[in-house]
Amino acid sequence: MIDEKIRDAIIQVRDRAKSKNINAFFTMHREKSHLLRIGNNAVSLNTSTDLTRLDVEVIDGHRKGSYSVMTDISSPDVVENALQTAVEKASVATPKEYKPLELIVEKEIKGMEQYDPALEELDPMVKTETYRKIIDETGKDYNYSGSWNSGSTEILLACTANKNIAWRKGTDQQFSCVLKDPVEKWELATFQTGWQAGEVTAKNAAADFKHILPVYHEPGFKVEPGEYTVVFGSQALADILRMLMWTGLNGKTYEEKMGWTSGKSIGDQILSEKVTIVDDPSNMNTFGFSFDMKGLARGFFPFVEEGKMTNLFYDIDTAGKYNRKPTPHNDSASLVMKHGDGPESPLEAVRNMGRVLFIPALHYVHIPNPSKGLFTGSSRFSAVLLENGEMRAPIFSSRVTDTFQNVFGNVELISSNDVSVNSSSSYDRRMPEATSVPSYMVSRGVKITDSADSF
Amino acid sequence: MRIEDTEKLISQGIARVMDEGAGYCDARFYSEDGSETIALIDGNLEENTASYESGLGVRVLHGGSWGFAATSRAEDVKETFNRALTNAKTASMLVNIPLDMGRMPGIKGKYSSPVGIDPFEVPLKEKLAFLEELDSNLQADFIQRRIAYIYLQRMKNWFWNSEGSFIERNLTNCFAEARIMALDLDSQMQIRSKSLHTPGSGTRGWEMVTNPGLWSAKTETIKEELAQLLKAPEIEYGKRSVILLPGQGFLQVHETIGHPLELDRILGYELSYAGGSFVTLDSIGELRYGSNKLNASAYGSIENSPGSFGYDDEGTPERDYLLIDRGILVNCLTSRAMISEANQTAGKTIFDQSGGASRSTAFYKAPIDRMTNVNILPGEDGSLTDIIAQTEEGILLDNPRSWSIGSNREHFHFGCEIAWEISSGKLTRVLKNPTYQGHTLEFYANLSAVGDESTWVVKQVPNCGKGEPNQIMEIGHGVPVMRFDDVITGERS
Repeated sequence: MIDEKIRDAIIQVRDRAKSKNINAFFTMHREKSHLLRIGNNAVSLNTSTDLTRLDVEVIDGHRKGSYSVMTDISSPDVVENALQTAVEKASVATPKEYKPLELIVEKEIKGMEQYDPALEELDPMVKTETYRKIIDETGKDYNYSGSWNSGSTEILLACTANKNIAWRKGTDQQFSCVLKDPVEKWELATFQTGWQAGEVTAKNAAADFKHILPVYHEPGFKVEPGEYTVVFGSQALADILRMLMWTGLNGKTYEEKMGWTSGKSIGDQILSEKVTIVDDPSNMNTFGFSFDMKGLARGFFPFVEEGKMTNLFYDIDTAGKYNRKPTPHNDSASLVMKHGDGPESPLEAVRNMGRVLFIPALHYVHIPNPSKGLFTGSSRFSAVLLENGEMRAPIFSSRVTDTFQNVFGNVELISSNDVSVNSSSSYDRRMPEATSVPSYMVSRGVKITDSADSF
Repeated sequence: MRIEDTEKLISQGIARVMDEGAGYCDARFYSEDGSETIALIDGNLEENTASYESGLGVRVLHGGSWGFAATSRAEDVKETFNRALTNAKTASMLVNIPLDMGRMPGIKGKYSSPVGIDPFEVPLKEKLAFLEELDSNLQADFIQRRIAYIYLQRMKNWFWNSEGSFIERNLTNCFAEARIMALDLDSQMQIRSKSLHTPGSGTRGWEMVTNPGLWSAKTETIKEELAQLLKAPEIEYGKRSVILLPGQGFLQVHETIGHPLELDRILGYELSYAGGSFVTLDSIGELRYGSNKLNASAYGSIENSPGSFGYDDEGTPERDYLLIDRGILVNCLTSRAMISEANQTAGKTIFDQSGGASRSTAFYKAPIDRMTNVNILPGEDGSLTDIIAQTEEGILLDNPRSWSIGSNREHFHFGCEIAWEISSGKLTRVLKNPTYQGHTLEFYANLSAVGDESTWVVKQVPNCGKGEPNQIMEIGHGVPVMRFDDVITGERS
């Protein structure tokens, strides 16, 4: 399944570079992407792209240079040209104070564990019909929008340090559907993900909407600023978790004393003992790469165990700079937050907790103060006021501004049910990533700092 | 891919899909979409990268729906037209309001960013020498981290459509920033930065980067301010006036005027990702967006800005028009297809022409409604000194540290690098960790002072994100100093 011409071109240039003592690392990225976008109950965009990229990094002692090209790279001349551009950049680069770590493909790897040709070539008609069914089943009085992105990503890594080739081809998809009331303006959303055709179904999407639609016909509830017990749904949980990791468990942030774990040590209690966070590429809720984008072989790797800081992740540049061992998380993550023992239903979980806010998703989470672990974001999609486990009213857009330490420190209950949340960035190139999180987490004393008078 | 190899194939492709019943077709060919990033972090050259992209993107309207396809492979030009047409036909199986581009005369044109020295022709050694000197000026014993970076873009592309348009564009952008950080007395990292802005006129090549007055001469200023931040008390929660310097005002305008006025958001096409807008079609000409002092424009005839590009990605020439006139919303950021749908939905002509705001970040992304230059026009309340003197109790804010906005842009929360307390018309002391929040319409209703032209600068935005798949776009904002009253600042304890 490897494109032989591209592989051979890269190997040919790699071997030539090695014979000239050039220290180079090659990354081939090919994506076949398809996106169908829905707006106002119609297909608003239907796109297909077939793109091939080559990145070349060259290390020349303390100097480094890199070059990326998106064009037809099946010719050795094109690959050679990219290499020479990177060599030239490295040759005039200012030397670093430290020696950059050599880029090495640690193992010979070929992976197609999560590849489904049926999803790679999924007929856009399937997507169109799925959205049509959702509209038919849920009701035509609403305004529907959403997107369904699917495709394949093929990555090949090679280096001059050895003969290893790391290669993976996989498929992934990310589906969303938003239902908006044209008069009241509230929005509900449903999300699905996976790597196989057939995993996204209209039935599941319609069921999600039907579950919550009745309460959304009640008048909206304005949440006054204060402290609340909050049930964070999986989308919100995954969003906050990623920010928590970036500002607290990132070796770069830690070494530079930028984050909220600055001053803490490995083994310190930083979160609730109910919280365990690991990186686990074998978890099928994530898109598991057995190597990272710098060629390091990946496996189970704990970050937080029962609330204690266990490990930090170090990208290769930070590791070189601070004399640490790099961890296999360079542009790759299979983040898993371990489930708890709460019931499957979040309503059941808060049956005896009185008034509780259910926030399934947050919009635009940002970090006003990483040193304090302070984050902020506003509720979006399907947020509901619960009373003793009963859905009472939809809530107007409300702002959570609180610290990671508080939200993940005052944990009351964590769902026993795991879900996959697609966290692929669609900036730049296709790079499938998913986070496995419990379907909900209940936290006490969460700060709501503002709310709108509308949804 | 080379223009010589593909031009004929593209013309043939457009003719063929139109013969097969398409209502409209356009194609964008990029012979070069290049970038260069150089970043010194603590004096180490941590980013020394360049990129080159080339390819073709084709958009076909068939049966009232869009199909799009793109390729980076020269042999796939014909197939790319086929896929775009097939995609449009599939999309047309689920149509609500059939899209219509209307009919416009073909346009022949060429636009090139005004450039004195092409930054890509400047030797890397010279660029590094410039950055190294800047970095040495950032050094001080108390500073724990220094970042000096330059990001350069050069695009050469051609546009064709089925109306006979043929447009060539050569776009050059230069972005740069200096940033320093240090730990304060509470072991919290404080930041001060200065990014490259443009004067609005003149050229935007390497000569802009090396113009000291636009950023690099401010190193001593930001070092002094960072030193003050390290000893500063934290801002207290409470309501007060806030004065936004352009370094913060641009983002306020970007998030709470620019994004909510993108017509595709208003029509609901961004709901599943970027979000919607509190603005409705009924709002145009009716909604009081802010006080009488609020005048906002799109484009604003800015010669030198990343939001100036000659023609948009539907071939519409850039326009200069008001969005908000003395506080009343009068227009939006629009493209041809979106105004057609808006007018059909409203049952009347709300928009009589495209705002020239259809933009795509690369050949492989379909164009969507974007900001161009969204500006606040200078006011009549004098200089920054005048506005501070007229302020009883307040804070002066500069540069964003965080931004979080409600999905319909109805409310917001911003964190800034630095605040200066104002008491009885005078700057008194520096405050750290400043934040403020508000509701968009209430906030702009409390706009109480707008600085004159002496306070107006064009801030460059290299990274506005929107769309699925996400598109990063370059934008400009010409903004003066602005004062808003009764704003919630700081965090509740």
